[in-house]
Amino acid sequence: MLFFSNNKFFASVVFLTTFFNPYTGLAGFIASLVAVLVAYFIGFSREQVKSGLYTYSAVLVGLGMGTFYEFSAGFWILLALAAVLSVLLSAAFIAKLGKSNLPALSLAFIFTLWVVILSSREFAVIGLTQRNIYWLNEMYATGGTDLIRLVQWFENLSLPDVVTGYLRSLSAILFQSNIAAGIVLTIALLFFSRIALTLMIAGYAIAIVFIQLMDGYAGSVNYYNLGTNFMLVSVALGGFYIIPSVRSFFWSLITVPISYILVIALWKITYTWGLPVFSLPFCITVILFLYVLQLRRTGGKMVLTPIQYYSPEENLYRYSNNKERVLNSFYYYHLSLPFMGEWTVSQGYNGSITHKGDWGKALDFVIADKEKKTYQGSGSLPEQFYCYNKPVLSPADGIVEEIIDYVDDNPVGENNVLQNWGNTIVIKHAEGLYSKLSHLKKGSFKVAKGAYIKKGDIVAACGNSGRSPEPHLHFQVQATPYFDSKTIAYPLAYFLQHEGGNTALKTYTVPQESDTISNIVPNMQLQQAFEFPPGFILKVTAQGYKEEEWEVMVSAFNETYFYCRQQHAYAYFINNGTMFYFTNYFGNHRSLLYHFYKAAYKVVLSTDKKITITDTYPQNIFGRHPLKWIQDLLAPFYLFMKMKYTSHVKQDDNMMGGGTIVLESRADQQLGNKLQQKMTARVVITNGKLQAFRVELSNKQIEAICGN
Amino acid sequence: MKKLVYESPSIQKMNTGLMNKFGTRSEYEPVKQIDGVSVHTMMAQYGSPLFVLSERTIRNNYQNAVRAFSTRYPKVQFAWSYKTNYLNSVCRIFHQEGSWAEVVSGFEYRKALGNGVPGNKIIFNGPEKTNEELEMAANNGSLIHIDHFDELFQLIELSDKLKKKPRVAIRVNMDTGVYPMWDRFGFNYENGQALNALTKIVESGKMELTGLHCHIGTFMLTTNAYATAVKKLGDLAWKCKTQLNTPIQYIDLGGGFPSSNTLRGSFLPGTDSVPSVDEFAEAITTNLLGLGFGTEELPLLVLESGRVLIDDAGYLLSTVLANKRLSDGRRATILDAGVNLLFTSFWYDHKISPAQDFTQHTEDMALYGPLCMNIDVVRQSINLPLLNRGDKVVVHKVGAYNMTQWMQFIQMRPNVVLIDEQGKTHIIRESETLQYIEQPEKVPEHLQIINV
Repeated sequence: MLFFSNNKFFASVVFLTTFFNPYTGLAGFIASLVAVLVAYFIGFSREQVKSGLYTYSAVLVGLGMGTFYEFSAGFWILLALAAVLSVLLSAAFIAKLGKSNLPALSLAFIFTLWVVILSSREFAVIGLTQRNIYWLNEMYATGGTDLIRLVQWFENLSLPDVVTGYLRSLSAILFQSNIAAGIVLTIALLFFSRIALTLMIAGYAIAIVFIQLMDGYAGSVNYYNLGTNFMLVSVALGGFYIIPSVRSFFWSLITVPISYILVIALWKITYTWGLPVFSLPFCITVILFLYVLQLRRTGGKMVLTPIQYYSPEENLYRYSNNKERVLNSFYYYHLSLPFMGEWTVSQGYNGSITHKGDWGKALDFVIADKEKKTYQGSGSLPEQFYCYNKPVLSPADGIVEEIIDYVDDNPVGENNVLQNWGNTIVIKHAEGLYSKLSHLKKGSFKVAKGAYIKKGDIVAACGNSGRSPEPHLHFQVQATPYFDSKTIAYPLAYFLQHEGGNTALKTYTVPQESDTISNIVPNMQLQQAFEFPPGFILKVTAQGYKEEEWEVMVSAFNETYFYCRQQHAYAYFINNGTMFYFTNYFGNHRSLLYHFYKAAYKVVLSTDKKITITDTYPQNIFGRHPLKWIQDLLAPFYLFMKMKYTSHVKQDDNMMGGGTIVLESRADQQLGNKLQQKMTARVVITNGKLQAFRVELSNKQIEAICGN
Repeated sequence: MKKLVYESPSIQKMNTGLMNKFGTRSEYEPVKQIDGVSVHTMMAQYGSPLFVLSERTIRNNYQNAVRAFSTRYPKVQFAWSYKTNYLNSVCRIFHQEGSWAEVVSGFEYRKALGNGVPGNKIIFNGPEKTNEELEMAANNGSLIHIDHFDELFQLIELSDKLKKKPRVAIRVNMDTGVYPMWDRFGFNYENGQALNALTKIVESGKMELTGLHCHIGTFMLTTNAYATAVKKLGDLAWKCKTQLNTPIQYIDLGGGFPSSNTLRGSFLPGTDSVPSVDEFAEAITTNLLGLGFGTEELPLLVLESGRVLIDDAGYLLSTVLANKRLSDGRRATILDAGVNLLFTSFWYDHKISPAQDFTQHTEDMALYGPLCMNIDVVRQSINLPLLNRGDKVVVHKVGAYNMTQWMQFIQMRPNVVLIDEQGKTHIIRESETLQYIEQPEKVPEHLQIINV
């Protein structure tokens, strides 16, 4: 937790680093032990304690006390008390701030250590130590001459001041001040997060430049302040609580100096009581900025991390990957096209005929043949138009809000401006979300006001009533339930666009004028095969792999996921009836679940038209690729490594259910403009069940059989 | 000055009837081009007589039919009726457009496989299916439409040997209010035979019941019959779901939609009296949607239309061989194409146009073919401009059935040419040769040498 990480490897390096100053480390270790026990004793759950949220302050308190005080019996008693106090304060801060979605950071630590410092003066048994002045002695006591030599060698390295300053500042976060610890931490950080490391360096550099520019009193700035208050501010706001980007890096230019002046201002106050400011400026800066960012009405370009993965890289990659894939699915109500078969948009948004001003976000549909003609015969009667009297469907589930059903059809070429909308139905889908279908045929309504209707239900027939010189269907989305409500721009969830014999899948977009479009006709068998209700267990076996059991579960945020017990792997997915797709994978990359995640990354549950769908995997799929670290460094600015995904229906035995459907997918690595195939996969569905999948990688082939 | 065409003089009876300020005007216009390709050029290149098919018209017909249904009903599938025209190029145009295959014999079944249609997209109809053919169809996952109880028993007997459970439907016949009622194919609905057959299929446990099929007749001139058929099949579908606990997946309404040809003996020309595909679609889909199935469980609608999709895409080009006077003074014109190529002239009064300019004079005449047979009558009586030997004529709407039911009698079958969408012509079936006709013949030893 100290470095915004929940990585075990990184944690152990940090833990060992604290022992560069062995007594300090020991104190930190004891404090954390006490804190963990107290947390259990109070009754926090194992999960809560394991997360470390309540105990990391105690570690810091322990490290701090170990640095400042002489060891004695009284010291250990005070240390234990301080650890308890820090747990209580942590819990309180986390609860209070958590309600506003704000982190408690090290507030508990700061207050606890202040209490210790102020109170310890009254206890004669506790005295300040001089160990830090003679720290070499300490080191000698633990590591003997070899360690001393090693550390001395590091200390004597002829590095530029800037570098040593940086390394010492980094180690100061753990209450140390030696280059060796700084180097170890830098290397560990490099392994853990390249973005965090660059932000640390950026924070340090900005602080140094700022001091130079202001010609400030350098005495107020020690390594500790450089480390905790400036470098950590840069990481926290540049890449941890905010998705790393050019803007978030730029942000450090502001947050670091602000933290700097806070350090001086607060120090002026606290030093009168003999207290250091510790990381209070860091806490204030971070909490203040996060709070203010939350007050924005929209997300803006600086995005607060929606789900914390405790790694700037993970945060960035998962966010940028899921931004469109997942958010759209949650953000928009799923609207489909209000008709069957292929229709053409005769007037789009802000069209030139009647879609103007407040009523501009509307669509007019007609049926046209290959020659773009909308009628057969002479076209002088409404009945001769292809779209006339064709069924009109409800675009989504909803309740019939209003119906007009008394306007006669116009002769072709005439407008009825008095009853502008003609026969109309307004359907309420959600609070503040209505759809309206107009110019319908009188007497064709199949539903009544107040009826609950489902997506795809026939509501009426296309007509030529109202302001309609020739039969067409008017469709708009509006925020209010009235016939003459203004329109709002609202995308359709999924539809197919047909052009010159080719069919393309469109997602969350608005069709353009003269596009020929149709709904996706779902395949029952595919729908059935990818229907994974909570509690469903899939058993998967493959040669060379342990049998895996994937259980479908639901998270606290109502996300569905497979949990593989054997491999402790999680694969999050969304199935909205039209599309099945994975959103996240956590865990072992050698599990069968991971291979399935890659093979069925996105599947359209239709075999109707041979649609090829494309997508991009998140960059963390590259794993230990040699260029991955370079990509990580550049990630906030530019993604040059991409893993493309495509899939299509290879074989469809039978569109009526039964038989076998084979889906084929592949992954292509894209480096710059170079494409390289990395995976081909097949998913076999038989009789409405996922039967098997096969993944071919460059070096191996996995044939998995599924059953339950 | 252009040389005038010679027409031998004739005496015409005064026409009675209403006064007409236009006089005795012919309704005919010469048809010199098909899809922009000159008739005379094609005949010079490919000979006479000559069948011509328009790919553009075929595709338009298909797309119009699909549009008529798919904008009214969510799940529609056409299956090309092979017997209507099984020239491979024609079938492949339909398959390219997304059509399945509907076959009525082992011969057609193999043709469909040869055209690359996956087994599970072939519908196997017809009263004759041999054991071998049924095995092949079942193992390919084709949809087998059972025609009679003996076939049902045949399948049950076979089913133990099969690799796959056969996917079957039954053909149902019923009273749809049209005369004559087609009851010779399939199981009757009214007397309970159909439900009996369905029960036997489900009870046997050896077949997968997938659908219901009917084909209420051909060249149907009323949409009501289809409405009735949908209701009756819908009733069976409900019973499959509720009584037999085996919901069916598709309803196949067969074909039977008429082309705009004029039936012999009808009062009005076909173009005026025949309902359009849209009208049939409206009747069928409205009733299907009204059956009470939920949006998700709506059965797939399968249509096996043939004639309506191809008839007007086919032309027969022919040359005038001779003119003569019959004993009663009527004019008779002899063409080089007769009922051997134009089987449909037994049913239709085909529209026939001259392929070159003509004068204003017309005369009622009989059109005969070249066969030395009394039945070889292309049109009993038709009012046409006066044609001379060597003139070309275009017979319209001959795409359906002629290229499958044509006879090799006295003459050999001519070239068939397809005009693609770019206006290029392709021979899709070469004219037959004596060698081709005699190839399967075997002459016994003692007949090898003759001495006349």
